[in-house]
Amino acid sequence: MSTEHRHHDAGPDPRLEKHLTSEQTQSLEARVKALESLLIAKGMVAADTLTKLAETYEHDLGPMNGAKVVARAWVDPAYKQRLLTNATAAIAELGFGGLQGEHLVVVENSPTVHNMVVCTLCSCYPWPVLGLPPVWYKSAPYRSRSVIDPRGVLREFGLELDESVDVRVWDSSAELRYMVLPERPAGTEHMSEEELAKLVTRDAMIGVTRVSVKS
Amino acid sequence: MIRRADPRIAEMSGAAALPRKSGELVFHDPWERRVFALTVALCEQGLYQWDEFRDRLIAEIAAVDQAAGTDASHSSRPSYYESWLAAFEKLVIDKGICTPEQLSTLTAEL
Repeated sequence: MSTEHRHHDAGPDPRLEKHLTSEQTQSLEARVKALESLLIAKGMVAADTLTKLAETYEHDLGPMNGAKVVARAWVDPAYKQRLLTNATAAIAELGFGGLQGEHLVVVENSPTVHNMVVCTLCSCYPWPVLGLPPVWYKSAPYRSRSVIDPRGVLREFGLELDESVDVRVWDSSAELRYMVLPERPAGTEHMSEEELAKLVTRDAMIGVTRVSVKS
Repeated sequence: MIRRADPRIAEMSGAAALPRKSGELVFHDPWERRVFALTVALCEQGLYQWDEFRDRLIAEIAAVDQAAGTDASHSSRPSYYESWLAAFEKLVIDKGICTPEQLSTLTAEL
């Protein structure tokens, strides 16, 4: 990795670095194994429960938060303005945060502007609102082709845009994470905020698709 | 039943926050993942409230911070999950689930 790449991700967090010798690791392993065998022997936990539990927490983040933000912006014009002006504060209003020094910027789609988000250098992603990034978002082809041939990439996602639509590609960084505010689809005027949130997909908030009314 | 992550655990803030990198939980070694799961599992069984563990976790981390003091190097400083393990061992003993002697005997045997 180049130095530039290392600085690109949110800054060195000592808690993420590992400094243990193999001897220290073995000692810790032994302590955990002792606890595990004791608790399993007492019938307090089952081994397969433990595996599933860890997986639940490792995959717990999803784009439901972002969907709620989008739905709120669609029904509340004042909220939308706050979201476009200071997204970090606006999502905090709904209880979403955790960016720890990084800022969120929301870019709005319109009939003449379509926004797309990428992290060209690594995989910076607004995880408090979108959860964990999909594998394709982290892939080299997406990262390079989004800036070189965004319409081509969109076409592959099934989105064909008219030449009159301006395509803007936003490069997320350690400091600035972007999220797209998709256009509200026609025929949703009667829907509640909750129903609207269910329509919003992660891919629409990354900007590779649009939100549609599901049949 | 769809299992959901408990936000009181997944979204702890400050020093007690689960280490994440771009949102993904960071476990360096299997023991970290396993002690995490053990702690959550026992809480789900009703053996203690999450706050009881969390308070101990915060205390362990604070003790690490105090001991580290002006030590700029990270290499000897106990990691997040080392603090977690210490807090969990203390909790398990406090709850009478086992004695310190039982744990050390078992650790030595394995």
